[in-house]
Amino acid sequence: MVSRRNFLATATAMLAMPAMAAANQGLKLAFIPQENPEKLLGDIKVITKWLTDQMGVPVTGFVTFDHAAAVEALRNGDADISFMGALPFVLAEDQIGAVPLLSEVYRGQPSYSGRVFVRRDSGIETLADLEGRDIAFSDPVSESGYIYPLDLFVRAGLFTGTGDADSFFGQKFFAGGYQQAMQAMANGLVDAAGASQYADLYLTPDQQAEVKVLAESEQIPSHAVIARPDLDAGLQAKFVDTMLRLNEAENRYLLAYLFGPDGYVPADPTVYDGVRETARRYGFLK
Amino acid sequence: MKNLIASTFLGLLPVMAGATAIEEAPWAPRAAAYRLTLFMGNLSPVPWDKIEQSWMSPPLGSDLQIEAISRVSEAEAQAIGRALDSEDRQALFEASTAAIASGILRHLDAAKAALGQPKAASEVSQAAALFRAFEDGIKAADAQAARDLGRAWLVLNSSLGSAGVLGNGAQNVDADRFAEAHSVVADYIRANYLPSEFAERKTLTPIPETVVRSGTPVTLPATLPPGSNIADQRQLPRLVLQFEEAGEDEANLPLVAFGDMLFDSPEIFGGPARELGIACSTCHNRSDVNRDFFIPGLSSHPGGMDVDGSFFNPMFNDRVDDHLDTPSMRGIRFTAPYGRDGREPSLRRFIRNVIVTEFAGKEPTPFQLDALEAYVKQFDFLPNPKIDRAGRLTDLASDAAKRGEVLFNTEFAGLGDKACASCHTPNRQFRDGLTYDIGSAEPPFPGGTPTAFETPTLRNVNFTAPYMHDGSLPTLASVVDWFNDTKQLGLDEAQRADLSAYVEAVGDGEEPYQVFDGRDSVFRLSWEELTTFASTLDTLLPMQDAENIALLVDTVAPDLAADASVMVNQTSKPEIYEFSNILRAVGDASANGNWGEANRQWELFKVMQAEIDERMF
Repeated sequence: MVSRRNFLATATAMLAMPAMAAANQGLKLAFIPQENPEKLLGDIKVITKWLTDQMGVPVTGFVTFDHAAAVEALRNGDADISFMGALPFVLAEDQIGAVPLLSEVYRGQPSYSGRVFVRRDSGIETLADLEGRDIAFSDPVSESGYIYPLDLFVRAGLFTGTGDADSFFGQKFFAGGYQQAMQAMANGLVDAAGASQYADLYLTPDQQAEVKVLAESEQIPSHAVIARPDLDAGLQAKFVDTMLRLNEAENRYLLAYLFGPDGYVPADPTVYDGVRETARRYGFLK
Repeated sequence: MKNLIASTFLGLLPVMAGATAIEEAPWAPRAAAYRLTLFMGNLSPVPWDKIEQSWMSPPLGSDLQIEAISRVSEAEAQAIGRALDSEDRQALFEASTAAIASGILRHLDAAKAALGQPKAASEVSQAAALFRAFEDGIKAADAQAARDLGRAWLVLNSSLGSAGVLGNGAQNVDADRFAEAHSVVADYIRANYLPSEFAERKTLTPIPETVVRSGTPVTLPATLPPGSNIADQRQLPRLVLQFEEAGEDEANLPLVAFGDMLFDSPEIFGGPARELGIACSTCHNRSDVNRDFFIPGLSSHPGGMDVDGSFFNPMFNDRVDDHLDTPSMRGIRFTAPYGRDGREPSLRRFIRNVIVTEFAGKEPTPFQLDALEAYVKQFDFLPNPKIDRAGRLTDLASDAAKRGEVLFNTEFAGLGDKACASCHTPNRQFRDGLTYDIGSAEPPFPGGTPTAFETPTLRNVNFTAPYMHDGSLPTLASVVDWFNDTKQLGLDEAQRADLSAYVEAVGDGEEPYQVFDGRDSVFRLSWEELTTFASTLDTLLPMQDAENIALLVDTVAPDLAADASVMVNQTSKPEIYEFSNILRAVGDASANGNWGEANRQWELFKVMQAEIDERMF
């Protein structure tokens, strides 16, 4: 059970008291920081003001520490809607019946992959070559930054699950983000990085030329915007319609305040079957 | 296109694949203030007011609008304040270094105390954001320490544990591993950034104290401070080349193509400009102005800088903080003399001045000057159907502009019985090639005369804000107001609006910015330019001109590889790296005098170019 102390102290000023917000029939959005949570607070102000103006209902936002806190907020009604990766979404769906509303689009696709990257000069040619060597992943609850790259090793028959991974690799790190994992690999601190398809763009252009993709996973549904199951259907629909207007030329600048996707499409719940199945195989879902 | 990519940056914006992976990630406020302090503390003379501003106001390049001084302890703030008050460089270095170091230690202690709670990750992240202020110094000075510390940060993050999601995917805290890594970082910080006494610093750098004291020479890569922007302007100006508009291909004009390459080449500069990848085109973006260009301490506002300061070429330092607005180079063959003060009568001499005196480059060869001159002379103005060939307004101009045209041609007593048009002569591209003291600059001493500036053209002036030699006026309307006030023109509000409308009509241009769409991507433009530059090898290889081949290869090969990071078609990235390596092989063979091999590699390059061209976007 994650308690309210998991909300950042600096975010409390922006926290709408749940009872008051319910009375106003407003929307409460939970944001999970990918970088500096204090900067995210500034971004939230911009986007919630725009949503409030467009929807005609008060929209407030707050920063949570992590996915766990966001899901907990959805469960207890502190949040109506949250931005979330596909893996934590299927867990939230399983546990509290969360529903997907929108999917982010990157480079024309509402999906992406996980990759294993190595340095070109490392002499590493196959996943098997990484036995006994060090690898950095992003985060233990990350689809493209952990589970899907790890699954590549399992599918190659190199080990069977997350527990065995520790004995296959020399050392396995969770670096705290795609960028940190990629920098650790590019700087020679580890031999490989497991991260998102686009994670090499976190490197300098010179570093990008020095790394290569060793293996790539199947496509993963991109990050989603999800809602608690009992959120009013009319409000859900209005939110989705409004968010889709971010795809229009005059509103596109606002996407930079929302983790920077190229746009949004309505979510298709069926695309998460692969994630549900993967989550089951790795014991995330019973 | 070198500056599409700012390859010198330590970190990139942590956003997903998108348009902004070429920009530097913002800094934590204290780290930003510290890096600004180091950079500006090394300028001569030191701009103390700007350093003070970096601590007392939200610093440039910071991710938060928060004063750095508010995030240090009271004792640290007092030490920084005392150093600033006494303008004591060494004391400021010591106080600010200690503030960053202590901040790292405090955040790590807080993380340790919060282990098992999500707050611990946030504290480690804040410690790492401060550590970034020292990181390049450690990397340059002590590779082993950089590696040990890098691994320690990985362990710190990995041992924090994770609550997972609703109990799934949870990871246990590893307090022992955390403590071990904590010690590695804290011990290093204490020994190197919180010593009992700092050695005297000639140059302010984040090089660790133990290395400074050992006397081991360290080559620290050139860096720019937080808030710098040397990447191409977001709205890339449209380039109008005379031969191209007339239907000719640059690949058929080897001298022009080589000049185009030199215009984009940092290799012709020296010192930090070359190291940072700054080229002519960095400021004169696509013949126009890079209105986003900004370097704290050197620029008073975007779109220019002090070109004779101590940073780029100390030999040329005039010790005066005098920001110059970057002029557009459109139509430059018709706008002599050159320099804001019109000090150089010929373009050739001015180009040499930029390379050698402003940016510390080697003396260019006559061929290189010929090439640069041949290229820049092709820069034309943007077409403007609102004026005819004699500079008169056409029917496409507004009524307000036409009323303004009359005012523009009216003589005023305050202008010495001259009209605006007397100097901005419409049938001479709205300039007259002369210099005047119009009172826009203060003399540096009583009776001093370096206050005269050349009449700038008004063609395409809509796209070159801000205005005046020092960029002190933000809009054309403010320029009209300035003349009205200082020259007592006596124009009422409506007349000033008409005059502004006229200048805006004259200053307009068709399709001012490059449009990118789908396959017509930023990378496609870069690809076409870089392969055109390479085409001059058809001329240089038969001449066995190893020097200029080396210059070309050192410019084009790294640019090809670096620009791959902005490809829309990311799947073809590895092909670009291979393609770039073939060009490198041409350069290597040429440098060794192996002309047969150089020619063979050049043929391979052309074959591969044809093969992959369709995928290059």
